[in-house]
Amino acid sequence: MAVINVTNGTQAILTLGQTDALALPGATGGMVVPFVQDITVNATPGTVRYSTLDSTSSSAFTTVNENSVSLNLLVDETTMFGDTGNATNTVAAAGLFATSTSKTEVFFSVAVTGTGTAGDISITGKGFIGGLAPTASIDGAVWLSPCEIIVNGELAKTLET
Amino acid sequence: MGVRSNIISQITTNLSGHTDFSISSELPFVQGGNPLYSTNMNTVYVDEQEIDKETLYVTLDQGNVESTTTTINAYFATDAKEQFSDIETVVSNLLIAGDVISSTVDVQKTYETTIVDDAITYTFEYTFTTI
Repeated sequence: MAVINVTNGTQAILTLGQTDALALPGATGGMVVPFVQDITVNATPGTVRYSTLDSTSSSAFTTVNENSVSLNLLVDETTMFGDTGNATNTVAAAGLFATSTSKTEVFFSVAVTGTGTAGDISITGKGFIGGLAPTASIDGAVWLSPCEIIVNGELAKTLET
Repeated sequence: MGVRSNIISQITTNLSGHTDFSISSELPFVQGGNPLYSTNMNTVYVDEQEIDKETLYVTLDQGNVESTTTTINAYFATDAKEQFSDIETVVSNLLIAGDVISSTVDVQKTYETTIVDDAITYTFEYTFTTI
């Protein structure tokens, strides 16, 4: 039992692709999103609360899960606006901005414990890129942007083989 | 060119109309117990630059972005009893010389004076922050 330390630069890696295989951590041709400052995987079951006359506290039942991945990143030109020479990964070719505006569904993985070792854990799924809001200031000196993947369906835990 | 050589070059240009002042490319080292700017009055000496790097943004893939703060001092001494009539313009031109450094996110240019015996020493400090 140990906490997962993310300070050596090889954990918490977001990879995107137009197929689930291409989006797996370490996949050849996968689009690794660089310069991520923080990343959050939201796995939230929907709930409805209700009250009854025989109880002094409310009750609840679950509805569908609402999942998302949110992150903040320093804007990399190629990642944001595409690498037209990339014939393998259409998400990388288009970039985050065009993939968001075209509402193209993407597959993703978040490598929790890194890649390259059997048993490494990642969280995978598919969804739509949104929430881009690039901002720049003379104090900040570089472009910063939040980003969100609105997950279509369920998140899955995937083990590297 | 480095920050110091850029500053020296710009001060040289800015002082071209002030025949009583000159600039040396030497460092203001101490000779015979006195710094060169005290020995050679009305000559500007630019000290070696000091650099301070700080991490501005930390990223999970260690593609960190650093800010670099460069501090550089310049000195000259002149007669405190009979100052030149254009001394204010000289001081102004020395401050403006800091504008030669581009692509900065912050620039500070200050000066202070100290009087010892009959000499007044002007100490300029230029601070440039770049990413």
